[in-house]
Amino acid sequence: MSVLAANCPSCAAPIEFKKGSTLVLVCPYCRSAIARTDRKLEDLGKVAEIADSQSPLKLGLKGEFKGNKFELTGRAQLKHELGGYWDEWYATFSNGWVGWLAEAQGRFYMTFFQPIPAGAALPGFDEIEVGKYVPQIPSDGPLMVLEKGVATAVAADGEIPYQLVPNEQSRYADLSGTGDQFATIDYSMSPPWVFLGKQVTLEEIGLGDARPVQREARRTTAAGMGCPNCGGPLSLTAPDKAERVSCPNCSSLLDVNQGNLKYFKALEPCPTSDQFLLKVGQEGTFPGDVKFRIIGRMVRSVTIDGTTYYWHEYLLYNPMVGFRWLVHSDNHWNFVEPVNPAEVEMPAAIGSGARAGYNGHSFKIFQDAPASVRYVDGEFYWRVEQGETVRAVDYVAAPLMLSQEMTPGEMNWSAGVYMTNDEVEKIFGVSGLPRPWGIAPNQPFTASWYYTWGAIPLLLLVIVGIFMLPLSGSTTTVLSQKMELPPMANATQPQAVFSQQFELKANRNVRIRANAPVSNSWADLDVDLINDQSQEVESVNVPIEYYSGTDSDGAWTEGNQTEDATVSSLPAGKYTLRVEGTWQNWQQSMPVSVSVAQGVNRGVNFFCAFLVLLIVPVIGLIRKVSFESRRWSESMFSSSGGE
Amino acid sequence: MAKILYLIFGMFVLVLYTSAAWFGWELANSGSKSRLGVPFFYSGFRGGK
Repeated sequence: MSVLAANCPSCAAPIEFKKGSTLVLVCPYCRSAIARTDRKLEDLGKVAEIADSQSPLKLGLKGEFKGNKFELTGRAQLKHELGGYWDEWYATFSNGWVGWLAEAQGRFYMTFFQPIPAGAALPGFDEIEVGKYVPQIPSDGPLMVLEKGVATAVAADGEIPYQLVPNEQSRYADLSGTGDQFATIDYSMSPPWVFLGKQVTLEEIGLGDARPVQREARRTTAAGMGCPNCGGPLSLTAPDKAERVSCPNCSSLLDVNQGNLKYFKALEPCPTSDQFLLKVGQEGTFPGDVKFRIIGRMVRSVTIDGTTYYWHEYLLYNPMVGFRWLVHSDNHWNFVEPVNPAEVEMPAAIGSGARAGYNGHSFKIFQDAPASVRYVDGEFYWRVEQGETVRAVDYVAAPLMLSQEMTPGEMNWSAGVYMTNDEVEKIFGVSGLPRPWGIAPNQPFTASWYYTWGAIPLLLLVIVGIFMLPLSGSTTTVLSQKMELPPMANATQPQAVFSQQFELKANRNVRIRANAPVSNSWADLDVDLINDQSQEVESVNVPIEYYSGTDSDGAWTEGNQTEDATVSSLPAGKYTLRVEGTWQNWQQSMPVSVSVAQGVNRGVNFFCAFLVLLIVPVIGLIRKVSFESRRWSESMFSSSGGE
Repeated sequence: MAKILYLIFGMFVLVLYTSAAWFGWELANSGSKSRLGVPFFYSGFRGGK
């Protein structure tokens, strides 16, 4: 088909089908969906106005994908069966491709029609299961079903390449795979059509300069669109995405339908609903210079062994990035973002010791419990309500946490990273946030430098020690002499003898070794090293004792007939030993063998230095063990031990 | 800051050890009457004066 200029069959205004692939055009004057057939133009009925949106995309925007230029020429707005809208932008490529740029919750997906190989049959809508793979789709990796549902075409703009019928419902399944792969199965066709592509960023498709529509938060008025319960004014930050909003004036929870508010139910307070630390509307600049606004906050809880634990979650929104969460529990903080479930290596079974993998990290299971919404405040992109419960499974690899939330029809994974109070205070420009207590499941151990940096001197010592071994030289004996101490005059009057002269070298330690043939007795030798030039004396004590016998356990010995003492290096020169001794059998002479050696490698220096440098790493390890023990004592899988 | 202080201390111990090895110093002297004083490892001697 070619470019076609005609008049709207509904209002007669001039309309033009600019793109050859366009099947339906929304008349910009009367908002009728006009389909072109081979013979005539057909009015399919009126479509609603596109809901107010902060989308950075708009008709006519030009981008580039994989080197091919495209233009956004149409837009369809679809409604989720559980509420919520998403946009599908029709991308007309210069090379003839027809692509769809889906925009949901701040994320973008570029997909193209993907023919299914002959003979392959896709599972039917009723057969397809969330969490299961669909191998029939030809792709770079397995694609997992994330969601299945029914969409309603509610609004459109520009030119659409398929027969869009206002309010027509269609069944679909969304799938994702590794490497940001994304696919949708459209069950409105028979056999179903598959659109395959990937999640993209605006930068990737040449739309990095696109900016969200800047508009003031929509303020409804009492006369028009105020709270239907109390009439008070309300602000919506993301009116195109909000599904539920609470009224701050009357504590009602309201349904949002394309900006129109409807009373849903009254909110009931919960024990910690007054303990929020940050306000709705507060803005913070997160790492990467990304500004998020708090648009909602909620209290959630789990009940374990009869005890209910509460925590607070803040819903963050940036039109360019989407939604994120800031979780506040026991005064610990976590920044949480959604992850592609297909990127997660799931455990075979959820239970003690289970591990999940994501982004190169291995996460250990910490908790598996039903988590309930207890209180909400602000606006939310899904139909949140008090009592809403999901099965929440947390896995930790500090400072990261991987969380799985499951309902029968949906499975979500998210990754959290621990934030300190100082970081949160800086982000939001606040001060005085209460200090955390206890150990958070994914709180990082900050004293690891004790055994990381602390091990550096230890490692260097080992290297230097090995290096010094050959340098310290071999042991050299400079004196070996037998002497005999004459009998003592009495038990306390020592006897002394002198050795022959010997030479000592500088910078080498000196070991004096003495042997006395004592048996079940002792000899106490005071040995003086006398420098023959300076007459300086270095004295050491060499006590010798040796006992032996038998008892009920058998033979035993204690002590030794040979003992030694080692002293630091002495000035080089000639020396003489003076050996003075007392011994038990003083009436008899005492033969003594004395030797002097230098350059003795004892290892005591190394041992002392090693011991000193080991103190800090050992303290660090003790603290780490204690920290992990406290962390895992809070886990319902603590019996599986810490990390 | 504590990291830097500890590294400085560690380097001091390392330099001390290297110096002792080079100059033949005994950081733990085993002679009870030696210049450096009390023996590091006491033998448990029961006799003597």
